Amino acid sequence: MAITFSTGDLAQATKTSRQGKEARPTLRSTLTGWAFCGPATLVILGLSVFPAGWAFVLSLQKNDLITPSVNVGFSNYQTLAQDPDMFAAAWHTLFYALMYVPTSVLGGLLLAIALNRPIRFQWFYRTCIFVPFVASAAATGILANFVFDEKFGAANNLLRLLHLPQQGFLTDTHQAMMVIVIISLWGSIGFCVLTYLAALQDISQDIVDAALVDGANKWQVFRHVTLPELGPVTVFTTVWQMIAAIQLFDLVFTTTKGQPLNSTVTLVFYLYRMAFMEFKAGYASAIAYVIFAITMVLTLFMVWYGKKTKVEAF
Amino acid sequence: MTSGRTSRLTRLLATVAGAALALTACGGTTGSTSAPTKVGPLDPKTKVEITWWHGQSAEAAAILAKLAREYEKDHPNVTINDSAGASSTDELLQKMQAGLASNTYPDVSYAFGSWAGKLAQSGRTLDIADLVKKDGSGWTEFPEAARLTAEYKGKVMGFPAVVDNLGLLYNKDLFDKAGVAYPNADWTWDDFRAAAKEINNPAEKISGTAYPVAPDEGATWRLWPQVWQNGGAILDAKGQPAFDQDPGVQALTFWQQMARDDTSVYLDQTGQKFEQMFASGSIGMIMDGPWLLYTVKEAKLNYGTAILPGTNGDHQTISGPDLWVLFDHKDAQRAAAAYDFIHWLTAPEQDVRWNVAYGNLPLRKSAETSPEFATFRTDFPGGDVFFTNLDNAKQARPTVPGYQSLSLNVAKAINEVLVGGADPKTALHDAATASIPDLKDQ
Repeated sequence: MAITFSTGDLAQATKTSRQGKEARPTLRSTLTGWAFCGPATLVILGLSVFPAGWAFVLSLQKNDLITPSVNVGFSNYQTLAQDPDMFAAAWHTLFYALMYVPTSVLGGLLLAIALNRPIRFQWFYRTCIFVPFVASAAATGILANFVFDEKFGAANNLLRLLHLPQQGFLTDTHQAMMVIVIISLWGSIGFCVLTYLAALQDISQDIVDAALVDGANKWQVFRHVTLPELGPVTVFTTVWQMIAAIQLFDLVFTTTKGQPLNSTVTLVFYLYRMAFMEFKAGYASAIAYVIFAITMVLTLFMVWYGKKTKVEAF
Repeated sequence: MTSGRTSRLTRLLATVAGAALALTACGGTTGSTSAPTKVGPLDPKTKVEITWWHGQSAEAAAILAKLAREYEKDHPNVTINDSAGASSTDELLQKMQAGLASNTYPDVSYAFGSWAGKLAQSGRTLDIADLVKKDGSGWTEFPEAARLTAEYKGKVMGFPAVVDNLGLLYNKDLFDKAGVAYPNADWTWDDFRAAAKEINNPAEKISGTAYPVAPDEGATWRLWPQVWQNGGAILDAKGQPAFDQDPGVQALTFWQQMARDDTSVYLDQTGQKFEQMFASGSIGMIMDGPWLLYTVKEAKLNYGTAILPGTNGDHQTISGPDLWVLFDHKDAQRAAAAYDFIHWLTAPEQDVRWNVAYGNLPLRKSAETSPEFATFRTDFPGGDVFFTNLDNAKQARPTVPGYQSLSLNVAKAINEVLVGGADPKTALHDAATASIPDLKDQ
């Protein structure tokens, strides 16, 4: 019923606006509108906006969530600006993002192109790549812990069989983050492959045929037809993977807990440590706001870049 | 950007700012400063409901639930809502933090001893000092370390829940294979080091011993017994860090030499794998507690237990007493029910049916003669060593709010020294300096 009414109102509204007058929504259409978006709005308000507001309040306090809080103004942010551990965590996160984002997007593209061809057992390969993505990061992490164990892991056993030197993996300060990149690629490349596969199958065969008729070779078709068509998906996956990279926590928590020698402490892991191990919820909230700001700036940049290059990703 | 969009954005920002302001108004009121509710006798006529987070899973939870039902049967006016409270005991603290922040905390919760200071500082725990210090309450029969842990500034926040301590668990097969004599009550740390070196066999992936180096209390509390044996202390009489003095440096240097010179120590940066690896037979001996007996027994490991090695005949260890913390809801009847129930639960008759039956040590020495303890002895070989080892737990970790932070700083120092090869003296000194603000902050 409601839908019938609202379409009617919509038609009415369109008609009036076409006549050049500002359409005044009736009470009924307003209520109908709110009835539709009300539940979702409440969920967003309750689960996103409210906690975000509370976190901001917390970030202005010295608060361990147990004893009475003290308002400290912006001093948490000032401390943050001079905290070497925070900069180290930011650097580790940046390193991870630089390794993870391009590899997962490029790797996802290549795998998707490979899997988009009519090959035997295609469904089997697709399943293989997608299954790790469905597994929870916690399970992936625990599994990886055993595979990459310095002494007893399968990875070092394999190296031994190949007569290659043994590695420290998760216990080596220089390798630990790389190993985490590899584990997360294994766990999440399925996502990129899936989005690219969908996009590839969306490309109209007509354009490809037209290009072929015009005498383009396979590479030229790929370069001038396929790639531009994949633009929006690329912007989208890059933003998505970047946000995922900045929020890296679960894998670190289940594999290294920030070790060895804090070389894998990421921003979110540092936040967790501050809030729930050192009882500094106020300081941790300030870190959360810094992470929010970084994510926001990067996302806005990507959206702006997409707009500028006429790639509509969002 | 169109003007319509701008105004929508402005409105959104205004809403967020408004919400933030509303929150500021209520943000400052958390916590209570008034005196705790006086715990009186339980009125058998008034109905009362209490929430109990026991922090246990599976088997242990079933035993405790059964006891709760039994208590309810004897006290028809009391309803106990028992649950684990969190998916693991470690996560209980986060749940309590969230609960205290939102006023939905339980009446009774299990708590690790190292959290006690912080919880007491919340001002929302009951004070049962008057009740337990009365003659005949049985309070003095609890181990001293456990009693001290429940005390904060003359107030008592709850009862001991589980007592344990650190000793040695060793793999008899690996000792035999290396031709090393088993640890005994006269062992020194030099004997320990020599044995670890002898058993260590990288080619066969056998480690002499292990040390958890994850930056948490698991690393820290394993250092304290040696610090005490060397004549040191965690805090001095003024409550300032003392662990960075010579006794502490000696203890950490000992482990540094074992880990980096002998390389006979498996450094477990997850803090969780080494116990399983010991159970699976790839580590010669570990400093651990009675909680592992069940696991090694299930793994059918040919193991033995011993008290910690000593320094000049001093074999003192550390006890990690866990607590039943009682929380104040400004309701005399709830307070009375919570106290009465936990008092009942920790009484000798119930304790043997829960702790001893489950494989924990009994809370009181007097349980030694009970038939349940005789079963414990046969069910968990080596468990009696940990029971007598309770006498070697002569000192307790300080129950101060800053301990949790101190513990993390010390763990970080241990990590830097054992994994990163830092200088023990400098690392401990830095940890002490970093701990001062949080110790002062009370």
